Amino acid sequence: CTKNFELYNTDNTGIPNGMLEADFYNLSYLKTATMAIYNFSGGGDPNSFQLQQNLNADCFSGYMASATPFNGGRNNLSYFMMTGWNGETFKAGYLSVMGQLAKLRQSNIPKDFPAVWAVAQIVQVTAMSRVTDVYGPIPYSKAGTSKTSIEYDSQQDVYARFFKELDTANTTLRDFIASGKTLPFKFGDFDLVYNANFTKWLQFSNSLRLRLAMHVIKADPALAKAEAEKALDPAKGGVITSNDGNMTVRIPGAGYTNPLIFIAKNWNDIQINASLQCYLTGYKDPRLSKYMSKSTDAAIPTQYIGIRLGSVTSANAKSDYVGYSAINYTGDDAFTLNTPVQLMTAAEVYFLRAEAALNNFANAGGTVQTLYEQGINTSLDQWHAADANYINNSVNTPDKYIDPKNALNNIDTPTHITVKWVETATPAEKQERISTQKWLAMFPEGQEAWTEFRRTGYPKLFPVANNNSGGTISSTLQVRRLPFPQNEYNTNNAAVTKAIGLLSKPEDNGGTPLWWDKR
Amino acid sequence: KSFSQTVTLKGKRLALYDVFNNISKQTGYEFVYDEKLLQGSGPVNMNVSNAPLTDVLDKCLKGKPLEYAIVNKIIVISPKPAPETVLQTAPIKGTVTGADGKPLFNISIQVKGTTRGAITNEQGGFSIQAGPKDVLVFSSIGYETKEITVGSNTSLSVVLSASNTQLTGVMVTALGIKRSEKAITYAMQQISGGELTKAKDPNLINTLNGKVAGLSISPSASGVGGSAKVVLRGSKSGIGSNQALYVIDGVPMNNSLTNQPTSVYGGSNAYDGGDPISNMNPEDIESISVLKGASAAALYGSQGANGVIMITTKSGKSGKVQINFSSGVNLAQAAYKPEFQNNYGPANAASPQSWGAKLNSPAANNMSSFFQTGQTYTNSISLSAGTEQLQTYFSFANTAATGIEPGNKLGRNNINFKETGHFLNNKLTVEADVNYVTQKIDNTPLSGFYLNPLTGLYLFPRGQDIRPFKDQFAIPDPSRNFLPVQNWTYLEDIQQNPWWITNRNPNSLNRNRLLLNANVKYEINSWLSVQARGSIDRINDVYEQKMYAGTYKVLSPANGVYNYNNATTTQQYGDLLLNFNVPINKDFRLTGLVGGALRDLKTSGVKFNSAQDGLKIANVFVIQNFNTLNPLNSGTLPENHGQYQSLFGSANLSFKEMAYLDFTARNDWASNLSYTPSNNYFYPSVGLNLILSQMMEMPKAISFLKVRGSYAEVGSSPDPYKSHPADNIFGVGSASANVQTPFTDLRPEKTKSLEFGMEWRFFDNRLTADVTYYKTNSHNQTLSIEAPWASGNQTFYFNAGNIQNKGIEAVFRYDVFRGGKFQWNTGINYSVNDNRIVELAETNPEFVLSGASGANFVSKFKVGGSFGDIYGTVLQRDEQGRIKIDDKGSPIKQGGDFVYLGNANPKWQLGWNNNLSYGDFTLSFLIDGKFGGQVMSVTQSVMDQYGVSKATGDARDAGGVAVNGVGPDQKAVTSVDPQKWYSTIGGREAVSGEYMYSATVVRLRELSLGYTVPVKNSWMKALRFSLTGRNLIYFYKKAPYDPEMTMSTANGLSGVDIFMPPATRNYGLTLNATF
Repeated sequence: CTKNFELYNTDNTGIPNGMLEADFYNLSYLKTATMAIYNFSGGGDPNSFQLQQNLNADCFSGYMASATPFNGGRNNLSYFMMTGWNGETFKAGYLSVMGQLAKLRQSNIPKDFPAVWAVAQIVQVTAMSRVTDVYGPIPYSKAGTSKTSIEYDSQQDVYARFFKELDTANTTLRDFIASGKTLPFKFGDFDLVYNANFTKWLQFSNSLRLRLAMHVIKADPALAKAEAEKALDPAKGGVITSNDGNMTVRIPGAGYTNPLIFIAKNWNDIQINASLQCYLTGYKDPRLSKYMSKSTDAAIPTQYIGIRLGSVTSANAKSDYVGYSAINYTGDDAFTLNTPVQLMTAAEVYFLRAEAALNNFANAGGTVQTLYEQGINTSLDQWHAADANYINNSVNTPDKYIDPKNALNNIDTPTHITVKWVETATPAEKQERISTQKWLAMFPEGQEAWTEFRRTGYPKLFPVANNNSGGTISSTLQVRRLPFPQNEYNTNNAAVTKAIGLLSKPEDNGGTPLWWDKR
Repeated sequence: KSFSQTVTLKGKRLALYDVFNNISKQTGYEFVYDEKLLQGSGPVNMNVSNAPLTDVLDKCLKGKPLEYAIVNKIIVISPKPAPETVLQTAPIKGTVTGADGKPLFNISIQVKGTTRGAITNEQGGFSIQAGPKDVLVFSSIGYETKEITVGSNTSLSVVLSASNTQLTGVMVTALGIKRSEKAITYAMQQISGGELTKAKDPNLINTLNGKVAGLSISPSASGVGGSAKVVLRGSKSGIGSNQALYVIDGVPMNNSLTNQPTSVYGGSNAYDGGDPISNMNPEDIESISVLKGASAAALYGSQGANGVIMITTKSGKSGKVQINFSSGVNLAQAAYKPEFQNNYGPANAASPQSWGAKLNSPAANNMSSFFQTGQTYTNSISLSAGTEQLQTYFSFANTAATGIEPGNKLGRNNINFKETGHFLNNKLTVEADVNYVTQKIDNTPLSGFYLNPLTGLYLFPRGQDIRPFKDQFAIPDPSRNFLPVQNWTYLEDIQQNPWWITNRNPNSLNRNRLLLNANVKYEINSWLSVQARGSIDRINDVYEQKMYAGTYKVLSPANGVYNYNNATTTQQYGDLLLNFNVPINKDFRLTGLVGGALRDLKTSGVKFNSAQDGLKIANVFVIQNFNTLNPLNSGTLPENHGQYQSLFGSANLSFKEMAYLDFTARNDWASNLSYTPSNNYFYPSVGLNLILSQMMEMPKAISFLKVRGSYAEVGSSPDPYKSHPADNIFGVGSASANVQTPFTDLRPEKTKSLEFGMEWRFFDNRLTADVTYYKTNSHNQTLSIEAPWASGNQTFYFNAGNIQNKGIEAVFRYDVFRGGKFQWNTGINYSVNDNRIVELAETNPEFVLSGASGANFVSKFKVGGSFGDIYGTVLQRDEQGRIKIDDKGSPIKQGGDFVYLGNANPKWQLGWNNNLSYGDFTLSFLIDGKFGGQVMSVTQSVMDQYGVSKATGDARDAGGVAVNGVGPDQKAVTSVDPQKWYSTIGGREAVSGEYMYSATVVRLRELSLGYTVPVKNSWMKALRFSLTGRNLIYFYKKAPYDPEMTMSTANGLSGVDIFMPPATRNYGLTLNATF
């Protein structure tokens, strides 16, 4: 008698699809996806985030560095690209974002509540734009279509698709807002970003479009202009203009933590990068104490001191650098394990608009200078560090770096750019000023900061102290991308081999520039 | 003795042969005789109805030169002593006991050179006519044959020692069916219970090591009470179990593995609480048969594909009450320790590595302050008593052990009660057996990088004194109101204070196990019987791991970790068998069975792990103190419910006891296959054997020759939920889509096995040889493959592949001296296995079993390779084979894909077992060797990186590492700076190719010296002392650890040492007394 066999062979700890329909609980897929953009959906253990972003983009952006001599100091941070580390961005993007949203698409939600589905599309573009900006070509149009082989799209095609998806989402959201309808359930329970405020989602989607448009400004200026102007078109709903519109993902409570703070505080595995420290201390930036704490190493005087990337070698123990400055989790306005994850701020949007104005795009909504200064002040406000004089400082320049423990790491400042806007400066200097301040404002979100560093060349960051890339990555140009994951070679070999041909040169290493990377 | 069995027989001039067959048919009793005896014995006239069996036998043998003896439903016909001999001899009386002092029943005694014989009764007593010059030959199944010259004795006290090698006579086969050894068409080897108790190990299965050809046992490195990896004839399954199936009294045991490490980190969820076989009391075991191939196991189906280890437990015996008491103490010491350099200390006090200046005085040994002498005390008592109708067996055993790492303890109590009853004129036999086991294991040593005291101990800078850290492993932290936190200068994820780990990262496993068996058998008539069996095996495991505040940050949040896991696994088994035994005619006999079985396996339980979410209050280890209940770490355990229903049958046709043909067939229905096109599978087997020595005239030297061959297929079903994984899984306060795809076209794995064998006995059984060739091919492997992530899935499964094992097994035995006061028999078992991955899926010609993350090696599965292949990194070399040295003077690692480095499995194994006795003294020893194969030591590579190993000291003493290298300028380099060399090749992500070692190991595995005290009083029957040793001498060992040890008894991590505790050398003293 085998009539109970199917019952026996059903995992009692799982949730059948049908059970999730009650109370719209299938919107959990959206929640999981939102938490995975900057991955903390793994609960208390931030191991995924550490590899997804922290030990690559967060460090390559000049924000952070680690005191831990992973693999005897030969690891990503000294340009020895770790095969085992470089797949997580890819993995989280597909398994925890796209895969989840694909399940949501199969439910009745997209049909019954298109505005909710529009939010899901925006989440997907947010997440996957970060993935393509790490690797370049990625599987996108064909994702989820096969178990054994999935073709890649060129980065150009992926971006084109992002813009299309944002078009659909934009229309849907505007229609929904205009209709004045409400949802028959509490969408706020599943919306960790804007608590069911669709107007804010609309503004974020436009801001995201603006960000992506600016990414491609060198690769396809016409597209950048068209998309940026569309994003800035007031008829489309506007962009984020104040800090209450910042795109942050709330930590939904016990069991989840801000993974960056967890790694910094509980594991002491991440410290502040020398580049960030030298800009902040050099500018006497009011955000300095908000961003970082002073050193705690008994062997050196108490000071704001970062670690230069690549300083930690096989000769070092973790204890050598673990007492250098960390992200501020102890002082005033300290980051906590519950600090929401910040993915886009109003300040960034002002700087994007300043750059749009610099390129004479329509609808930037101000002069380059006013937008630049609004960006700075919006950021200072955000960090409770308002300082009316800061924007007028034409004296302070970034510090040179002096490693109190190893003089071999000392290095002169890479730039003498100041804060105060100079209308008569060269376009390059203007770009540097905008990018430098944007970089200071976006902390601690290293993924976008690394993208902007690669796209514009600014801010000027210290080169790596020890380059173990074996010649594949230039110390001057720094890391341009991550190699494709080993898992793709193991499981999707034909497709990834073809994708290498879609790169700017057929070399799958950290030195190959992406499509939009044409500086 | 009277038997109520009755016989009706009428006829004139009946051939004795037919009479016997007829009686056999009516009574179910079997006759054993030499056919030559019946020749010329003449016909008989019979006219009896419902006459007692003995009367009938008396009647039909009346006036014939024959007599009979009835033993266990077997009627032995032997020639009557010739009258003239009787006149020349006097009756000799005596008793026969085993080495343990227990009387031996059913021992055959023969006057050498004559046909006179006798059999001992249940008290071991015998009486036989023999003269002073006669030599008596005592022999029986499971005992060494002994010859004694009568001399002037009229009373003899004979002690037989258990034989270590293959038994002769009746063998216990699948489903607990007893068959004559002659009839068996496949390779099996039987081990007596005495062999298991000779030199005990806390896990009894380890005492089989080296004694059975084709059986490979790798004890786990998890201290006292740990499990063992037991593989017969090579590994067959890529992701399924490769462990042999254990069957106790005909009922398959649930030997599901406990948690095993799956990565180089090991860690708190990788504890090994011992496999269910390790819970058994070795004293309760009567014998063990090892059924090596799929043929033997075909009737067990799914579970039996990897071979079967059949265990028969002791039952009560009718007769006088017998009490046996056994007590033993066993001391264990680390059999080897890593080799350290003693001349160089750290560069400064805070440096964790020993690359500093030369020390003023040589460094002290820090090992002795950590390792201790392990002690095992076993005490057991058993009682056997009964009448003809009811027999009782009761035993109790207590095992208390400590391991060589401080804090590692085992406490175990076994209670066993078995009652056997015979009713309705012995037609109905009822048996019930209750076993209860409690076991507590504390501080299972965890191998790997995390939570392992050995990393801190081994890497501790040379020349520093470790004792202050032992005396004060915790120091008060003023910032935490003087909470005692860890005292260790070199905190890293891979190292903590060793005593902090043993005292403040403790783990414990509490097991309660209840095993109930019931068995009812009814003889419907002389040729048909029906049997029903039921069994419940319920194992409850409570595992706790605590980490106190002050544990290294990456492992534990500030207030500590509490991990609690409570799981109950219940197996219910029932079967119904119909046995038949039909003599078709004079020459042919058909025996066999049909039956059905049901096995149901289910786990229930909960787990709670505060993990990285932490505790509210430091060091309060209760679930209420959790900061949060995170469903990713805590919750209901999956039931993994599997039910297997089976119908099976076997038929065995024999011709004149010289040719046997076997068929078996079985069909299984498995719940794990639901949601697939077919939830059942069928597999047959066929076997043939010929007793050539009975079919044709053989030279006198050959006393027995048998050839056998068999072919079998065995299907095995996959794990639960593979075809139907959960649609969605729980996250914290949320649900997410499962990333594992359902395997809807799943099919069972199928192993096809072919084997041929020959058994020879020479010189009156003095020399025996048993040689088997086998070849097995396992198809339809269930392979778990990482999916391209863009599919939205992480893993998917498919069936593919063909893994082949072929090899030869040979067992030889020789009685060097037999008879007389000095006896010596010696046995050799040899096996060679060749494992080959013949094919995998076309799309995935290789996949990784374990490794990679955090270390520079993987265990890879690749077409053309074999199970256990290790891949890793090597140094770059030029075309002349010279190592490339870079401009800074360091060797250069070869990047890119891992390369093949070696295979961990031995190519062949040899065991040499010896039993000697002289009067009341016995001596036995076992030397075994495993030859071929390569293993890796990550322990060594990390010690090299830290500059603590002897190799790094020697290199510094010599002024550099001598190499055949070449610099960037193409100039030869002959010496490399030791620190540059070892910090490149050593470490966690080492040049693993530099850390491969020969796995060949030859050892003195067992040595036992026994003395039987001649006691002559009424209350004590026997008293025996023995001194034993295990793993005493490594005659050959090149690896820096014992290559036989394994970090995991699952499929991964084999052949890799990552800070495993050393193997132990054991010394024991045992006392056995019988009352």
